[in-house]
Formats: sequence, C-alpha cells, structure tokens
Amino acid sequence: MGIIGRLFYTKDKGKFKRSKKWEGELNKCIRCGYCYELCPLFKSNNWESDTPRGKLLLIYGMINNEIEPSQEIVDKIFQCFYCKNCSDNCSAGVPITEILSDARADLIEQGFEVEGTTVKIDEDLCSVCGICVPLCKYEALTIEPTEKDKEKIVVDKVECRGCGLCVSACPSGAITQKEGCEVTIPELHDRVKEIIKQEGKKLVVFACNWSMFPGLQLSESPTLVKTPYGIIVSMCSGRVAPELILNAFQEGAWGVLVAGCPPEECDHDGNYKTRRRLVLLRNILKELNIDSKRIKLEWFSTKESAKLQSVINDFMKELDKMGPIKKIEVSKKIGG
Amino acid sequence: MKKIDIEQLKKIVGAKNISDKIADLYVYGADASVHQAMAGVIVRPKTINEVQKIMRYANKNKIPVVPRGAGSGTSGHTVPIDGGIILDMKRMNHIIDISPQDMLVRVEPGVVDDDLNRALKPLGLFYPPAPASSRIATIGGEIAANASGVRSVKYGATRDYVYGMKVVMANGDLVNLGSNTRVHSSGYQLERLIVGSEGTLGVVVEATMGIRPLPKFRCLAVANFDKLEDAGNAISEIITSGCEPSMLELMDKIGIVAVNKALNLGLPEVGAIVMFEADGNVKEAVDYEIEKMKKICQNHNGSGIKKSYDLAERTKLFSGRKKLFAALSRYKEGIICTDLADDMGVPNSKIAEAAAKIHEIAKRNNVIMAVYGHCGSGVIHTKIMLDPKKKSQWKDAENVIDELYDYIHSVGGVTSAEHGIGLSKAPSWKKARPDMIPVMRKVKRALDPNNILNPHKIMDAPDDWVGATKLRYKVG
Repeated sequence: MGIIGRLFYTKDKGKFKRSKKWEGELNKCIRCGYCYELCPLFKSNNWESDTPRGKLLLIYGMINNEIEPSQEIVDKIFQCFYCKNCSDNCSAGVPITEILSDARADLIEQGFEVEGTTVKIDEDLCSVCGICVPLCKYEALTIEPTEKDKEKIVVDKVECRGCGLCVSACPSGAITQKEGCEVTIPELHDRVKEIIKQEGKKLVVFACNWSMFPGLQLSESPTLVKTPYGIIVSMCSGRVAPELILNAFQEGAWGVLVAGCPPEECDHDGNYKTRRRLVLLRNILKELNIDSKRIKLEWFSTKESAKLQSVINDFMKELDKMGPIKKIEVSKKIGG
Repeated sequence: MKKIDIEQLKKIVGAKNISDKIADLYVYGADASVHQAMAGVIVRPKTINEVQKIMRYANKNKIPVVPRGAGSGTSGHTVPIDGGIILDMKRMNHIIDISPQDMLVRVEPGVVDDDLNRALKPLGLFYPPAPASSRIATIGGEIAANASGVRSVKYGATRDYVYGMKVVMANGDLVNLGSNTRVHSSGYQLERLIVGSEGTLGVVVEATMGIRPLPKFRCLAVANFDKLEDAGNAISEIITSGCEPSMLELMDKIGIVAVNKALNLGLPEVGAIVMFEADGNVKEAVDYEIEKMKKICQNHNGSGIKKSYDLAERTKLFSGRKKLFAALSRYKEGIICTDLADDMGVPNSKIAEAAAKIHEIAKRNNVIMAVYGHCGSGVIHTKIMLDPKKKSQWKDAENVIDELYDYIHSVGGVTSAEHGIGLSKAPSWKKARPDMIPVMRKVKRALDPNNILNPHKIMDAPDDWVGATKLRYKVG
C-alpha cells in the first residue's frame, strides 16, 4: 500500500464491512488444521500462511485490528483456486471460501493491487477476440469499452477462481497466471520432465485437483515403493493443454492418463473441453505414428482413489504391451 | 528480531525458506489452542546440517527457538510466547528407509503420519499410533507430544514405537540416541526423555520407529446406551474382562447431537455410543472378541448393536467420532468449542464416574462439555464450549479447569494423556506435580543452559493460562 493508500486506510481503519459479519464463523473454526491436507497451494508452497486455516487467521486478525492489511497479506488472500476441498470437508462447517470472497471484495475496496492466483491479461497481446468470455463459468471476464473508443477484457478479481481454463484457451497467449503455485503451463512442463527423469517412470497422470487431489501425498516417499507412474495435479482437467501431453511423449512417457471429474460434476465444465481436445489430439497422434490408445481420459468422482489405482494398473498393462514410443521414427515423421 | 539475525539465518536456509512477513509471523503464532502470539521469524530447514547451524547461531545469540510440525497442538505448545525463531520442520519430510526385514522405518521429522501409513500399506505394514490429526500431524510433532490415538488401547502410544532418534541439541551438537531394536539396555533411555518433551530439550531431526504387520481382519461394532453411566461401566468391564479391543471409544449425547447437526449423520440421539473394534489374522478370533464385548455391552443395557468387517461400512460407522472434535463447534449457536481440559487420563475403574463428574462441573459453571475419547486406554476427551465474547465465560472456564483437574488428580488421573501440557494445561499440571518441577528444571538446564528451546512451556509456563498470551478470541 502506498502513502496515499495508507492515509486512506488509517481514515477507514476497521472497514471490513463484508468480512466482519463472519466473525462468529471465524470463531467456530477450531483451527484443527485438517484443511492443510486438502489444500493444493499448501502442498506446492508448504507455507502455513497459504492454507485455509492461515487465511482465516489473517482475516480474523485484520477485522479485529490485530494486524494491518498489507500487500503481503493481500497476496496470500488472493491465492486460492476455490477447489472448495476445505469448505466441503470442514467438520466445523465453516464456509471458508465465502469468507475469503468477502475479504477479497473488502481489500479491493481498500485500494490494494491484487494478483494472487487470479488471471492477468496482457493488453498488448490481447486482440479482444472474446473467446475467453463465455468460457468463464463465473462471469469473471467481461468486454468493456476503454477511453479510446476501444475495448478490452476486464477480469473481476473477486469472481476469478484461478481455474486457468481461459489461460489454456487464449489463442494469443495473452492470459497468464503468476508462477510459483505449480499451475502454469511452463511449471507443469517442468513437473512432466521431473517425473520422466525418474527411473522406471512410464506413465504421466494429470489429476484434477477437485476430484482427485485429497488422496495424494505430502511427504516424500522412499525409493522402496517405486511406481511406474507419476501424478501431476493440474487443477481442472480442462487445464491440460494438448502441448502438455505432447511434451510428455517427447520426454519419453509411454502413455498419458487425464483424470477429470465426471460430466455434470465439473465446477468449470472443463472436462467437456478436455474430451473435445483429446479427440483432436488423438488424430494428431496418428499422424505422428503414435498409437492413440496411449492417451486415456477417465472420469473420477471425489474419493474414488481406489478406482484411479485400478485404472492406472490396467492402463499400465496395456502400455507394457505397447512398449516405449520409438523416438527416432517420431522425429523423422515430424521432420518430414 | 534483529535484521542482522535474519540475514545470518537467511545464509543458512536460503531466502526462500525464511520469512519475517507479518502474514507468516501471525499465522505461525497460532495452533489449535486458545493462544496466539507473534513469532520473530519463520525458518524452514531442509537438512540436519542446517538445523545444527541454526541452533548454534540461536544459542550463541540467545534467541528462542520453537520447533514446529503441523501446528495441530491443542495447548499452545508451539505458540512462541517469547517470540524468536519458529523452526518449521515440515520440509524435512523424507521417509528415509522402510525396512520390513527389521520391522522399522527411518523418517525425517516432517513426515506426515498418514503419508507414512500410505507408504507402508502396500507392504502389509502399519505405524499404529495414529492420532485423530494423523492426516496432517508430523512424526516429529507426535514424538514431542507423545501422541496416541484410537488404537492406543491395543497398540500403545508414540513412546512404544520410538527405537532411536537423531537429535540436535540446544548448542547445535548432533546426538544419536536409542537403538535399531525394539528393546535396548545400553545406557540412559534418552530417546524416551525426548518423547513428550514438547520441543524443550532438543530438535528431533530423524527418528527410527517400529512398525507392525497390518492385521488381516478388522471388525468395528457400535452400541447405543440410554445412560452415559452404563456406557462407562461397559468400557471398564471390557478392559478388565480380558478382552483385547483394538479400539474402544465413547461418545456422549452432546457429541452425538453436535455431529448430527454439523454432518447430518442421523445418529440415534441416545445417552452415549460405545464403539469397539477387534483385529487379528484369524477371523474366528476376531469374532470371539467382538461377541464377548457385545455381550458385556448388552449386560450394561447396550442396544442396537451393529458390526461390520467392511472398510467402507466401518468408515461410515466411525465418521461421527472421527469428525467430532471440529463438529462440537456446531452444537449451539453463539457458543464455540475451545481446546481446554481436553485430554485427561483416568484409571479404568473411574471412567463412568469421571464422565458424570465432567457434566456436573460443566453445568455448575455455565459451560457445556462433551465427553468422548479413547476411554479403553483411559483417555477422556472433553472440550469447553462457551461464548468467547463474554469475559465472565472465561472466568467460568477457569473455574471448570480448577475443579475438574482437582477431581481428576484426586482419583489418580493425569492432566494430559496424549496432547501434552504446553501453556493452557500447565497451571493444573504444576499444581498436581510439584515434586517433578525441580527435577525437570534441572534436566532442562543441563541440556539447554540458555533456555532457548521452546522456553516458558510445561514447568516454566505462566501460572495464569488465560493471561499467558493473547487469547485467539476477541473478548468483550
């Protein structure tokens, strides 16, 4: 916050009119911390201030004037993917994401610059084609007129859930998300490389954060329980851009499994988009002389980790029959 | 915290693993207790060497250091009452080795209990002392609190599984304690001294823990009781009759109503529910245990008994108990659930009496208290439910705690069975164990002469728990 902002804040100290109504609910949070296990941000950053409990603590501190709102606190409050794993599973029934949205609105009103996990539009690259606008289920993207009789896409930072569907759909690459939360395409590329580099890894699984995440591990396992597959949490399955899958094959993966929510269950309708994209991608694979069966798309509801395991096992059997992709032939094909 | 100290610590762990931002200092100043304080800096080491360097620096400059796992403690153990360094151990989260042939694991302290069990399960093994918080609790934190859980009635507590450990002492020295065997008789059992020391004697940087084979069969049964007293007596008789439950849990009406409200479980709102489980490799033997316990329950007017071997069904039967702690917050509008007087241990013969006494004391002091817990191993969990905004309710809570612990200690019980003393239970514990205090202080002085490791906790904690730190709730 700048000097003017600070003066403004001092004048309106304690102005958290939306968040204040949640004080009773914030007291109901017993701070057990069980939400840590369910939070994708905590799993990638490992700072307690990124957890749902951490965010509720910060909101509580601000509305009771124990801590002053600052840019660093605002950055934390705006880092959330709204997977709602926390609020759906909170035994104390605290509506965590609703509280968070109200705190976001209050902080925007106080004049803070916000980014967090919300998307950002590079106006130089954006052609205002508008593809992204109907894509967003939360109506966080709108086309608005600018001063110069032109238009631009505006992001509603309170409504944006950070699912990243618009990022993977933007034809000019004008929509981006901040790096550091392991969800941007370059970061996911790096995760693919990391997995394939490990001995014996043949299958890359892109798992949707919403349905598949809670069962995944936080601790680093020993080499003793080696698996032939690696799981990458890609937020919504609609976020799995075709280039990510091709990249996995290029790195040496034998197969790719995309695990998404069943139709009707996806919060963002991203699963339908993935299904359409994968049909096209399978055709491209044929052109590259890669068996299209090396890509598998399956739906999983929450708490179906047992099903995930059996699908992985069956797919691994198929892949073992197929063997590795012959890289030289592929590159020849690509070359000409 | 001085800027220069932060710069020096940054050199040890790197800029990404240190923070003096208010957002972090405030969040790391809390746990699941009623307490809140502000840390000076958060430091996240990755290696033993880094921990040693941090401790050398802190010792030389007399900076308090509070080792921290998941921060799920209920009594303010990791609340930095004197500020200083919060040593966040969660990055040291490698399961270093699983050795089925030696039936042990070597882990770093930040490994999460459930993750360890996930890694062990495919090998047909498990690490038994799982507290309710096992989904986030770290092994280091469990050692610090001597945590136990629902299966402690058969499998015991963390102390029973700690074979050996590597500890960084206050001055930065690294020591190897214990053994790689289930028993040893080679010098002082110092690894046992570290168990339950709540981060006041050293920083655990590696632990060698025993593991057990997973039983082939587990059967869980649930019995309803109209009277809490009958349920308490049934539990006591199960223990004395030679049964070997792998779980023996109690949940009173307040708990049942709370989980029904919070989770819409539709449990019968009877006086109490008793859950009993048996496990083993021979189904007939498990059946025998379950039938025997069932008969005892029936003799004490237990009814509506359901049982299941199926994992999904067992999980459903147990879900209310599993989520009870947090669900208590929903018992009544305007009141909240505080982590106070939460885990006393009572002798087996006193379970029914203690349960009744808790309700009586609560009623007399205008608060609500649920009674539940791993009563088979003598652990009675309660929570004080009150209106946090009213100053008078905190006085009520103080009175409850005084009366309740006087009673618990008078019947031979202990202040804490599995969560530890920290700040909020320290006054009651000190009152009950005056003879232990000077001995513990001598041990503390010998190992940490500058009093930098988690200072002013347990025997050195303030006598007034309400004023020990800022309360997490806005009172008034």
